[in-house]
Amino acid sequence: MTSPFDAPQAHEPRSVAEAARVMEQLAREGKRVAFVGGGTELELGPVPDRIDAVVRTRGLGRVVEYQPADMVMVVEAGLTIGELQAAAREHRQRLALDPPWPDRATIGGIVATGAFGPRRARYGAVRDLIIGVQLVRADGAVAHGGGKVVKNVAGFDLPKLACGSLGTLGLIAGATFRLHPLPEASETVVVPGLSAAEVVAMVSRVRAAQLEPAAAAALRGPSGYDLALCFEGFGKGVEQQTGKLRQLAPSARAAEDAWTRHDEVRTGGPLRVKVAAQPTQLPEVDRLLSPLGLRFAWYPTLGLGFASGAAGEQAAALIADARAELLRRGGSLVVQAAPAGLRVDRWGPPPPSFPVMQRVKQNFDPDRRLNPGRFVGGL
Amino acid sequence: MGRGTLVDGRLGSKLAAMILHPCPDRELVLDLDWVMISRSAIDSLREAVGERNCVTEPEQLRVYECDGLTSFRLTPAVVVLPSTTAEVVEVVKIARAHGLPLVPRGSGTGLSGGALPVPGCVLVGLARMKRILEIDLDNGWMRVEPGVINLEVSRRLSPDGYYYAPDPSSQSVCSIGGNVAENSGGAHCLKYGFTVNHVLGARVVLADGSVLDLGGPVLDTPGYDLTGALVGSEGTLGIVTEVVLRILRKPEATRTFFATFPSTDEAGHAVSRIIAAGIVPAAIEMMDRLAIVAIKAATGVDWPDVGAALLMDVDGPLAEVEHTAQEAVRIAREAGALLVRLPKDEAERQTMWKGRKSAFAAVGRISPNYMVQDGVIPRSVIAQVLREIEGLAARAGLRIANVFHAGDGNLHPLVLYDARIHGQEELAEKVGGEILRACIRAGGSITGEHGVGADKAPYMGELFSEDDLATMALLRCSFDPEGRMNPGKIFPTPRLCGDRPGKYTPHPLEQSGEAGRG
Repeated sequence: MTSPFDAPQAHEPRSVAEAARVMEQLAREGKRVAFVGGGTELELGPVPDRIDAVVRTRGLGRVVEYQPADMVMVVEAGLTIGELQAAAREHRQRLALDPPWPDRATIGGIVATGAFGPRRARYGAVRDLIIGVQLVRADGAVAHGGGKVVKNVAGFDLPKLACGSLGTLGLIAGATFRLHPLPEASETVVVPGLSAAEVVAMVSRVRAAQLEPAAAAALRGPSGYDLALCFEGFGKGVEQQTGKLRQLAPSARAAEDAWTRHDEVRTGGPLRVKVAAQPTQLPEVDRLLSPLGLRFAWYPTLGLGFASGAAGEQAAALIADARAELLRRGGSLVVQAAPAGLRVDRWGPPPPSFPVMQRVKQNFDPDRRLNPGRFVGGL
Repeated sequence: MGRGTLVDGRLGSKLAAMILHPCPDRELVLDLDWVMISRSAIDSLREAVGERNCVTEPEQLRVYECDGLTSFRLTPAVVVLPSTTAEVVEVVKIARAHGLPLVPRGSGTGLSGGALPVPGCVLVGLARMKRILEIDLDNGWMRVEPGVINLEVSRRLSPDGYYYAPDPSSQSVCSIGGNVAENSGGAHCLKYGFTVNHVLGARVVLADGSVLDLGGPVLDTPGYDLTGALVGSEGTLGIVTEVVLRILRKPEATRTFFATFPSTDEAGHAVSRIIAAGIVPAAIEMMDRLAIVAIKAATGVDWPDVGAALLMDVDGPLAEVEHTAQEAVRIAREAGALLVRLPKDEAERQTMWKGRKSAFAAVGRISPNYMVQDGVIPRSVIAQVLREIEGLAARAGLRIANVFHAGDGNLHPLVLYDARIHGQEELAEKVGGEILRACIRAGGSITGEHGVGADKAPYMGELFSEDDLATMALLRCSFDPEGRMNPGKIFPTPRLCGDRPGKYTPHPLEQSGEAGRG
């Protein structure tokens, strides 16, 4: 068996109704189930305990509803974000979310993993853009949460509960998003060769100057960090902001290729690590991660970073140490992917709210059949 | 003390929920006003929060009998005003030991009856917990207690050039804890999002007395997004005693304009075209003729008497807003604006916004009573639904003023009535319900920012299926399996934890494969 997701049974429903029937059938048979979208994040979390059946979402690939005037799109889970963006682009709109592997990553997978990219700096995470969800529960019942309007506080926020739940609460069969207009202009400027402390200081000056980058990433290279800032909007606004930035940092230069470098870090491997800390803690994060010898991209306004590369001999111990330090400072470290043979805790210790998470799991999936053992604390 | 019989504790939240519902049986609720709790429970509560912070006098209790939705009233059995998380824990434990339901309350400005007491409840007022605990400008967050007033947060940050984005119209009196419970919005959430987008974490006391920290200043705590689930749960999951808020650097510039139109049709058209042009206004508000009349009467703004008015803000980097403001004004004129007025200074801008934000209260100048609705519709059908509302008003013989967040389709129809005229209150309520049904038919929602509370719970079953509601109840049961926290709110019927909401039970023949389902 090459992957834990090569289960004896595979289903590929062509509609949500069919997905519900499949789930109901699997419930009746007491089968343990995993869900697979584009397969970009299958390494996230430990290998689930024995999977009997896989439900693939690629048959659920429709744009269900798109009314450009409302800037809202209802889609099925198997649609890739690339396909979604193509549909929105025709109306000069987009989903302001830029996770890695856009041509493969599906909406269901993006919601399930809470995937994001550097534009989170301005537009928020999946949780901030999703306004509705369609969830096929463990017992096959189809539940909707949220709706099709951007502003809506009716009932509990099931869409947010679904975000990052990694297929442990149900099959995410569809989602509804608010869209944004495509910007008229976009320009990336790079401030090169900064130390970790200088990145923090530069970001602080950018904020003090009331610049509003749409995306920001500090990319670690041989001569320090290159801080890439992307400005988006109408031409005049972008021009003013890049001009102001060049005054703040005379060494700033245009460099669109920064995002290619960034993407390489995000999609690299075989070891891939996500770290979370306060934005001003970059110097400590840098010190903790340096010994691992990985490539590193840090979102300096969010306090989130990704490192990737080959796992050295000491990797497991270094990861454990870095995690302990980050936890002590209120942060976290998640191993998103690891080479076979690297014995390392993927999620680290569960957060203080874990008892409630356990009850959520117990209530949604009482027989523990959905992706068992793959999420935090063995959920 | 009072009338009726002493009911010792064991009323239980389930019973309370059943008594409270269905809402149309309001008379029944009032009849149960007499439910009281035992002396020993009150003594314990007094000890927990101190004599002065435990309210039992009937006249004083009356202060807490309703929130901003004054048509529902019920006197709580006792009100406690704790000042620390530890005191809240004590209160919750005492309530649990005596089988009493708990109803949390902030400033009491909610418009859906979210803080409406239930029979025999311990009402937990959080107004005394109003400390700002920590501010970290560099990392963009602050930690506050739930009783802190929304506007106070931005006031505190203002000298440093920062602010807190959600700005409900009641922001000068409403509390952060109440905002968290209701997932409050405000005019500027079109661009910046709602409370849930600005809450990074919370400390919450659960019904069993345990204290949990959800999320925190650092993003992406591994595990379920319980912070996201908590915000907007209307006090049904726990009592929030600390909140970590995201704070933002003030934008470099703000441009505002006020424009008048012959009718809401042209104004709605302008809104659609501004948004289609790729502009994301910070806020874009519409008022119809009746709302304008009321605002003028209440605030003395010198707006002309016209069919509709728009008030719009764009903010961001200077060159960006100069451009978008110019574009928006041009589009408004093309769409038929009669007059476009730009404030000459910040004072005039504030006056324009004060006019808008005082709209609800202003309606009190032109009608003895009014009822606020909070329906949401897709932006593209605003004109159509407004005409439906007009038709409903005409048929009922009532006036309806419309003030709303046009950018996100969040309507606030104010149904005007005179309670002294027999039957008018019921009629107004009926019209309000029909408005919500029109919103549901148009693909929208029954509440955009005020919450479901006790008021709109009866409509939840029209917006959501039985499976949807049962799934939400799974979350509720994960936090509060006994249904002790704010029972009777949000859900149309009491839901018991423990029964698994099975979709159906297969027939043995079906299981053995001898019979299938079509």
